[in-house]
Amino acid sequence: MSGRVADAATNPGAHVGPSRLAPWLAMLAAYAVPVFFVLAPLTLFLGYSFFSVDQGDIVFTPTIANYVRFFTDPIFLPIFWRTCLLCLAVAVLCVLFAFPVAYFLTTLRGRRRYTLLVLLLVPLLMSYVIKIYAVRSILGGNGMLNKALLATGLIDQPSMLFVFNLNAVLLTLTVLLIPFAVLPIFLSLERIPKALRHASADLGASGAQTFWRVTVPLSMPGTLSAMSFVFVLAIGDFLTPQMVGGQSGFTFGRIIYSQFGTAFNWPFGAALSVILAAVVIVAIRLGGHAERRHGGAR
Amino acid sequence: MNEAGVLLKLRSVSKSYGATAILHNVDLDVRDGEFITILGPSGSGKTTILRLIGGFTKPSGGEILLDGRDIAAMPINQRPFNTVFQDYALFPHLTVEGNVGYGLAVRGTPRAETAKRVADALELVQLGPLGKRYPAQLSGGQRQRVALARAIICRPRLILLDEPLAALDVELRRHMQTFLKSIQTEIRTTFLFVTHDQEEAIAMADRICVMNAGRIQQIGSPHEVYYRPSCEFVAKFFGENNLISGTLGPANGLTRAIETRAGRVLCSVEGQPDMAAAPVGSRAFAVCRPEAVAIGDEAAGENRFVVSIDQVAFAGASTMATASSVDDPTLSLKARIPSRPDGSTLSPGDAVTFVVPANACRLVPA
Repeated sequence: MSGRVADAATNPGAHVGPSRLAPWLAMLAAYAVPVFFVLAPLTLFLGYSFFSVDQGDIVFTPTIANYVRFFTDPIFLPIFWRTCLLCLAVAVLCVLFAFPVAYFLTTLRGRRRYTLLVLLLVPLLMSYVIKIYAVRSILGGNGMLNKALLATGLIDQPSMLFVFNLNAVLLTLTVLLIPFAVLPIFLSLERIPKALRHASADLGASGAQTFWRVTVPLSMPGTLSAMSFVFVLAIGDFLTPQMVGGQSGFTFGRIIYSQFGTAFNWPFGAALSVILAAVVIVAIRLGGHAERRHGGAR
Repeated sequence: MNEAGVLLKLRSVSKSYGATAILHNVDLDVRDGEFITILGPSGSGKTTILRLIGGFTKPSGGEILLDGRDIAAMPINQRPFNTVFQDYALFPHLTVEGNVGYGLAVRGTPRAETAKRVADALELVQLGPLGKRYPAQLSGGQRQRVALARAIICRPRLILLDEPLAALDVELRRHMQTFLKSIQTEIRTTFLFVTHDQEEAIAMADRICVMNAGRIQQIGSPHEVYYRPSCEFVAKFFGENNLISGTLGPANGLTRAIETRAGRVLCSVEGQPDMAAAPVGSRAFAVCRPEAVAIGDEAAGENRFVVSIDQVAFAGASTMATASSVDDPTLSLKARIPSRPDGSTLSPGDAVTFVVPANACRLVPA
């Protein structure tokens, strides 16, 4: 062993072959995938967003007209803000629902914990469209929700409050995205050493005081990254609003979708996508920043 | 024992996890104001005792009495004890002040009073200027002090310390030992300190409770457990010791002889009624510390061993001589003698006499 080390040290040329090339190959492989499949399409879109359309043909003359249109046309900005608010609401709701679930999960041990975790993750393996239909059947006029409300006598005819409007989008997105919020919160709760809760109780804190003063603040990194995660997934979604949003449930994602579909205005769709991407990047950065700040105190 | 001076009583406390027994019928009195150390190897159950007192786990049997009342079912947050945890368990999201003031904050202490008591506590542990820092910005020794300040600020009746110095390097550890002891003297609060380090226990404790395999082996002052061990485990646990196996002869007042293959050894049984009363002919060990052994025919002492020196190890202030008995070559004896500046010492092969007075020899059952 020591002999080989000495050889390498006295004769550096001996290792030029495989050991110098292999890292380059590995790096190329590691970078090629994201560059070709993520970065390149995004750059292409960025390029498209500065073109325009004339009579259904793309005009390849650089212009900022698409961005000007977004910021000046009275249709787009309100929908943009409304979508951001909607997704923020989805993120908050998801975290509110996911937190107790994640907390409960940390109290389980062994088989029961594993079973619940799998139950929570199973929806992630299912087709998105099927899940939307499932939720729609719950929220719809003849859905479980309405039947339950009718049965309890709270309403005397099926309510249309939960279907084909923004409420429906909000509820459906929340239901669909809760699993994505549970995991980061669960992981951050798991990371809190048991000794800290013991220390809190030892110093006289009640269970509730320990929860609010130790558990919640220390789970913030996970909670905030769960929020940014859900927000990003929700804001990019066009299928859910399309299927449960009806006429009033118009979101930014649907507008982008229509630009590439019915309107056939790729450059404008690309510009809207770039704006959406900017929002997503900001949301991710905010989540990551919060995680670092709260994690850093550790 | 003075009942009035007892703060906490453990009465035949046992703890088991499933079929595994961790503690067997432990009886222990913690006296008011003392520094008591629970000492034992890992797995001896010493930390379990601390966790039972702190309320982090429930006893399987027996009682833990505080003021004559069993507190086995009392929740952690209602016990008038505070703990310094092994890895300190400081709240990473709170500053030093936030950590130290935590116990007061959860009790709804007014802000001004909290601030003053936090400042006092930080002053006491010599961390005055670091109040605004976060635990991650502190050294190990500083975190240790924060943990201590956090525990003493609520003025608990008992402070539990779970191997708090284990993570520190040797020098800092020595310093913290003196520091902890001085704090304890200053605030006159009872400290129950758990450690596996014999030197640490001897350096700090008023009383040491030696544990092994879930049982208390001996409780006594550091001097007692060191020089007057009550069992083989304790005799072997504190550094190097001489154990000479034999059978008990008849008792004679405060001394009793034990017949060994290296001859008759006269031992003191003062304060050891069970050894004085043990039947003649039962197996036992005569125990004497290497530093109690004198070398040379002219030395005074009842017990004499003719030995041949095997090894001489210079250890600074003292020199340890290991020798085998001429009468029983399987018996190895150690003598710790003062080192001499001129370097003259024993040499391997020297035939000398090891002399031990009877009052430096104790008996423990085999």
